[in-house]
Amino acid sequence: MNLNLLLQLAVSGFLLGGVYSLIALGLSLIFGVMKVINFAHGEMMVWGMYIAYTLFIWTGIDPFFSFLVSAAILFILGYLLQRTVVNRILDFPEAMQVLPLVGMAMVFENSARIIWGPDYISPQSRFALSSLSLGNVMIDVPRFLAFSLAIVITIVVLFFLKKTDMGKSIRAAADNRIGALLVGKDINKIYAVCFGIGTACVGTAGGLLVPIMPLSPHIGAPFTMISFIIVILGGMGSLAGAMVGGFIIGIAESIGPELITGLFQGVGLDLEFPNTMKQVVSFFILIVILLLRPQGLFGGRRA
Amino acid sequence: MAKKMNRRSFLKYSGAVGATTAISGFPAILRSQPKEILVGAVHPVTGPAADIGVSCRRASLLAVEEVNSRGGIKSLGGAKLKLLLGDNAFKEEQGRMEAERVMKEGAVVLTGPFSSGVAMTIATLCEQRQIPFVMDVAAAANITQQGFKYTFRCFPTSSNFAGNEILYLETLMKEKSISKLKAVVSNTGDLFGRDQGATFIKFFKDKKFPVDVLAHIEYPLGIQDLSAEVSKIKALKPEILIPITRPGDAKLMITELYKQRVELMALIGSGPGLYEPEFVRDMKALSEYTMDNVPWYNPQGKMYKEVNDRFSKLYPGKYIDTNSGYSYLAILVIADALERAKSAKPEDIKEAVKKTYFKQDLMVGGAVTFNDKGDNVNADTAMVQVLGGAVKVVMPAKAAEAKYVFPMPKQLWERGM
Amino acid sequence: MKTVYGLLLVGLVALLILPQFLSSYVLGIFILIFFYAYLGQSWNILTGYTGMISLGHSLYVGIGAYVSAYLAMAAGISPWIGMWIGGVCAALVGLAIGYLGFRFGLRGVYFVLLTIAFAEIGRLIFLHLKAFGSFQGFFITPRFAFANLQFKGNLPYYYIGLGYVVFSLIVVRLLERSKIGRYMVALREDEDAAESLGVDVFKYKMIAIFISAFMTSLAGAFYANYLYYLHPGTIMSMAFSIEIVLRPIIGGMGTVLGPVIGSFLITPLSELSRSYFSQAGYEGLHLVIYGFLLVAVVLFFPRGIISYVKKRMMPLIVRSEKSRTE
Repeated sequence: MNLNLLLQLAVSGFLLGGVYSLIALGLSLIFGVMKVINFAHGEMMVWGMYIAYTLFIWTGIDPFFSFLVSAAILFILGYLLQRTVVNRILDFPEAMQVLPLVGMAMVFENSARIIWGPDYISPQSRFALSSLSLGNVMIDVPRFLAFSLAIVITIVVLFFLKKTDMGKSIRAAADNRIGALLVGKDINKIYAVCFGIGTACVGTAGGLLVPIMPLSPHIGAPFTMISFIIVILGGMGSLAGAMVGGFIIGIAESIGPELITGLFQGVGLDLEFPNTMKQVVSFFILIVILLLRPQGLFGGRRA
Repeated sequence: MAKKMNRRSFLKYSGAVGATTAISGFPAILRSQPKEILVGAVHPVTGPAADIGVSCRRASLLAVEEVNSRGGIKSLGGAKLKLLLGDNAFKEEQGRMEAERVMKEGAVVLTGPFSSGVAMTIATLCEQRQIPFVMDVAAAANITQQGFKYTFRCFPTSSNFAGNEILYLETLMKEKSISKLKAVVSNTGDLFGRDQGATFIKFFKDKKFPVDVLAHIEYPLGIQDLSAEVSKIKALKPEILIPITRPGDAKLMITELYKQRVELMALIGSGPGLYEPEFVRDMKALSEYTMDNVPWYNPQGKMYKEVNDRFSKLYPGKYIDTNSGYSYLAILVIADALERAKSAKPEDIKEAVKKTYFKQDLMVGGAVTFNDKGDNVNADTAMVQVLGGAVKVVMPAKAAEAKYVFPMPKQLWERGM
Repeated sequence: MKTVYGLLLVGLVALLILPQFLSSYVLGIFILIFFYAYLGQSWNILTGYTGMISLGHSLYVGIGAYVSAYLAMAAGISPWIGMWIGGVCAALVGLAIGYLGFRFGLRGVYFVLLTIAFAEIGRLIFLHLKAFGSFQGFFITPRFAFANLQFKGNLPYYYIGLGYVVFSLIVVRLLERSKIGRYMVALREDEDAAESLGVDVFKYKMIAIFISAFMTSLAGAFYANYLYYLHPGTIMSMAFSIEIVLRPIIGGMGTVLGPVIGSFLITPLSELSRSYFSQAGYEGLHLVIYGFLLVAVVLFFPRGIISYVKKRMMPLIVRSEKSRTE
């Protein structure tokens, strides 16, 4: 096995993981506090991407700055979505929760198509093509920036949750809804803000991803899935878990196929683990975690 | 009104009625030739191939307009074509429903569907209902191997693609006195990509072609990150890359090759992704010198120049390409068949399509004519290259509008981007 | 109760006579209604009755379709036989998933994710199996004959589809009244309580998933011989799994008629909205509207249409029965 190749793959995977973490971060909040499977997560990220793209086309502002606008708009969208739809389904049986969010996913995806058209778009922003070399390894600048910003944003969100009143209320509500109600908090507002922050995170991720990947209305679904895997891996409600989980999945998908092929050949099997099956690696990790440690790596009590 | 109808005009009027009646018999007035001939066009205008579906639909509509503006189907008294639009969303279930719907609404011939899977479903349906199906675009060979009598395909088959790519590579190597080339073949993990990739590797091996395939790299459709794949390509140090892509990953591929500084003599692809207007627009200087083997319009063709002119006026920034070109052509083939059939009955139309010999210079290749399997034997591909920000045909020589440039004079990162 | 049976009989007779008056296209819509109603019923056996939610049921349809189609193409075995072999295969896979899920005590969202993970892995594996066509997809040669489950017109498919639905209704009704059924409902209502009363919870969950997977996969052969093409991206996809669960959820889970009612409502709605809006020029608009409708229906009928109807109709039925006894 080519060690240099492996190293490059690991680095790319690590940087990619940073981006994945950011996407999963938002879900971790939503899932952790409200226990809702946000099936529209990926599609809302795509909206974040389109907003940043539109700003870039209209004003030339690089997505690495305009992600703030994406975050703001997605916060509002998320807040509204929570107050109108999600709030009403919180007490529904899980099966009934799936449908409204699947419906919203369809709405987001297809309205994006109507507004921005079906073509793949790849705007050339300033940093999109930059890369740095560290010896034999190449570091992709846009991914590095996305990765760094993701860490910064996570710290900001953590700070918000630990230090501000609203943040503490959110954590309280996550732990004990009835208790929070009894203490007199406006639970609806808390949930709405929480959802809004979750979608703001995902909108930010979208903005940061514009320089990195081609944009089309239908790319959302796989991201919803990946963020779920990461959140379960890291632990529901654990933001640090979402970060770590993101890295693990990013790296696993990058070097997984290579390693497994090496394993096969090491034991004499002339089989190659095809790259097109790389998602099997993440799903496999998901299954193992679900069976052996469903609360995830950083999750507290057993769910 | 009654006042105007004086004796003279009344006589003229009744005389005309009488004459018509005498010629064709009284019930014939009701049984007269159809004013409209309904053609069903089922394209994937929503779903994962929506950009292509929309482009095909637009071309079909434009073709119908052209036929009608030239007087419609003259052998049927100037009957106009009317398109019944359907959306298959790239799903077989939906394709079948839409095909059945347009048949119910009176379609006597169908076209579409771009997706090979949907093509199989609709072809079977057309065989069941005995309605001719003139496919504009669908590449899988299996469809015409089922013994269908009502299905015809204008588009080249995937083996045709691969065969031509090899031919063009051969020409290139001979002209540049290159004895051997080291290549990596990469493809998207979808039907077309996988098929092409596998066919190449097989052809290279079978014909003992002097191209050393260092690796065959595949990645899932819809992938958003090709850093791992390109790292592998870089590690192998190939001289040329043969990428079979889709629009999304084509852009990813080029950007990643740029970022990882992969040195190459050329990118010689086969299939979509490397010629679309969006590719050239977004990749700018990076798209320069990319070569692609695709069924293509004939830039020297008179028909092409007229059609593309109208298309790009109607849809600024877009032009007739692989898929839309064939959609346009399919309508012309249908119109031609109707003209010869002199009837709007599906059975007659089918017989007429079978005997098609439609001279055209819209697409590269000869006159459209179908063998007994329903394949267009003269369908061909061309090698195109992005030169000066425009996609130009560089091979075969007789359709070429520019000479190909090989190897790339500037690597991706030397282009000032 | 008698009224409901009466209505059902009338409905069945109507459906038997109806095709005489319908065009091929409308028959096609009914075929899809029956197909999804059947799938919904089969899914309902697991989820509606035991409360274990599966969003990976497309896997079973896929296995059933591929196995029966492969046997037909490679060995000439009639799909009428092949479907049962496919059923066994799917049921075994279901048992494996069930074993892992139930033994490790997964519930709720965690079980859902397990089913999704397995379905996706299945999809990816089938995408790479040469024998099943891998990325090309599996082309099924049309040879119209009853033995091949392939017909020229839509009428035979209509009646066979109807047969599937009736079959599923009978199975579900029998299940509901049997001991197995009652235990399944008990563990849906309160698993811990049931367990403490001595019910072998694990055994009944396994039975449920076995039956559900088996029945679901039988529809695969129907699908394969109606559309003549299989591709893991369609038949083993998340999107298909969601389509399967849509109808019973809206109709009413855990009820006998829920999936059927749901299918009769949703399927034509989706067809008609598409054909209406598709022409309007805003491609994708019908999906936006469909999405909003889904949200609206769940918000207004959180327990499904059936329970809403029951609530409204119950007083009427009770009143009429009362007046009869008086």
